[in-house]
Amino acid sequence: MQTSISVEQIRKDFPILKRTVRDNKPLVYLDNASTTQKPNQVIDAINDYYRNHNANIHRAVYALAEEATEAYEATRDKVAKLLNIKSREEIIFVRGTTEAINLVAYSWGRANIKEGDIIVTTEYEHHSNIVPWQLLTQEKNAKLEYIGVNDDGELILDQLDKYLLTGKVKLVTFSLMSNVLGTITDVEKIVSKCRQASVPILIDGAQAVPHMKVDIQSLDCDFFAFSAHKMLGPTGVGVLWVRKSILETMVPFHGGGDMIREVHKYETTWNDLPYKFEAGTPNIADVVGFGAAIDYLEKIGMQTIREHEIELTKYALDKMSNVKGMTIYGTKDIAKRGGVISFNFHDVHPHDVAHIVDREGVAIRSGHHCAQVLMERLNVAATNRASFYIYNTKEDVDILVKSLDKVAELFKL
Amino acid sequence: MSDPLYTEIIIDEAKYPQNKGTLEHPDISQHDANPMCGDSITLQMNIKDHTIDDIKWSGKGCTICTACTSVLTQLIKGKDIDDAKNMQKETILSELGLEHLIQQSPIRIKCALLSLKVLKLGLYSYLASKLENNNFDSLKEEAASLY
Repeated sequence: MQTSISVEQIRKDFPILKRTVRDNKPLVYLDNASTTQKPNQVIDAINDYYRNHNANIHRAVYALAEEATEAYEATRDKVAKLLNIKSREEIIFVRGTTEAINLVAYSWGRANIKEGDIIVTTEYEHHSNIVPWQLLTQEKNAKLEYIGVNDDGELILDQLDKYLLTGKVKLVTFSLMSNVLGTITDVEKIVSKCRQASVPILIDGAQAVPHMKVDIQSLDCDFFAFSAHKMLGPTGVGVLWVRKSILETMVPFHGGGDMIREVHKYETTWNDLPYKFEAGTPNIADVVGFGAAIDYLEKIGMQTIREHEIELTKYALDKMSNVKGMTIYGTKDIAKRGGVISFNFHDVHPHDVAHIVDREGVAIRSGHHCAQVLMERLNVAATNRASFYIYNTKEDVDILVKSLDKVAELFKL
Repeated sequence: MSDPLYTEIIIDEAKYPQNKGTLEHPDISQHDANPMCGDSITLQMNIKDHTIDDIKWSGKGCTICTACTSVLTQLIKGKDIDDAKNMQKETILSELGLEHLIQQSPIRIKCALLSLKVLKLGLYSYLASKLENNNFDSLKEEAASLY
């Protein structure tokens, strides 16, 4: 394992970082909370799979089918190792975090949420951890409640007590890291409250798993979801982990091939875990590519990645807070936040800011970041968001800050 | 610095937008939002003798959206409903020199035309509410053909 990141070396693995945009400006990619770029290792793994090993998995007995199955299943073991998961049967491949959460809502939620029950989420969730629960609670005549966010961008955890006291809470669901504020959730506190009240916990790990060491055993939750494409992997692959004792009670989400044991005219028995929840031919090539992404990250080391981002975020926060007219959202405590910085520049609409810095080659996100509930809480229509990853440098931050001069110039600020 | 999108006229229009506010008893109140960026516009109108007697708008939008909404409201104030209903996107865009967006920026064109969409939604709903049922289908068809 390396002790610090050689960004220069890493950048060589990412072909897209060599290209220019908008009148030959070097690409400064700062939208990693949305999706990350892919290294050659991942692109090559997918390429190699299609060129040399492509076949359907879990069925045929010929050589290719065996190789394809092995490569697909190897990624499941890599996920288990990355997150310290004891049992590989608890790992279900899905399309992404959104599908993972919907799977829980439809399969577990429909069977367990009754009229009058309460599901608790938070004000800083991505829409994917709000809308599935709205659909479920509306269908069941249950209630959806929110843990609020304070002015430092942290959850007001006392509010959870109030809900738990009703005895009606059947699920508490929250993200490990906010995709807008970068806040790292105080999991220990929430989990201990929920355990005392015997309430199951779902954690959305989409923003956390790519950027820090995550250990499922020590999180002690019941459901955990994340996506491959935010951690150098391909789009269209995600993981749902469910505690085995719960997974065993769950009915299938999708019916079809591969998830069955025996099918008769009017009845079917289910395949073993996790295949019971992986109906149809999965996204084999991209799961294989995801395996290469995990290898790449593990080689660098998740702790090293976190340290690199802390350094970069600290630098960016310092530099950006010195810019006139800058509003930065979320906590200033670097230990409590990841490499995601949401900001507004004077009163220029984020869409305008993002458009102008794009001319300088800088890719930042502008908008509500699929977190309109949080935008309402912050009382803004939208924010700009710069988010970092292993290949970003202090120079990237400098270019972003410098490009804001152009905004100031155009808007006569 | 000159910029093809953020011209002086657009920045000034957005800085001092016209007809911002709300009406006390609007005959038409229509809202819509751009799901991508969160731009959100409400148009309110009072109708007198089949003309748009007064119009106000409220909401949050980027510079392009704000400038276009301001211009739109100025263009249609005092206009016959049918003329307003037939307002073309090119008319709005050319007022601000934004015709190039049609070709060059499929994303920002939505910022520019959100208020026009709100206007048409509002006018068509209003007209539909005044019509006999048997005319409603043709109106719906006409509305659909606009987008």
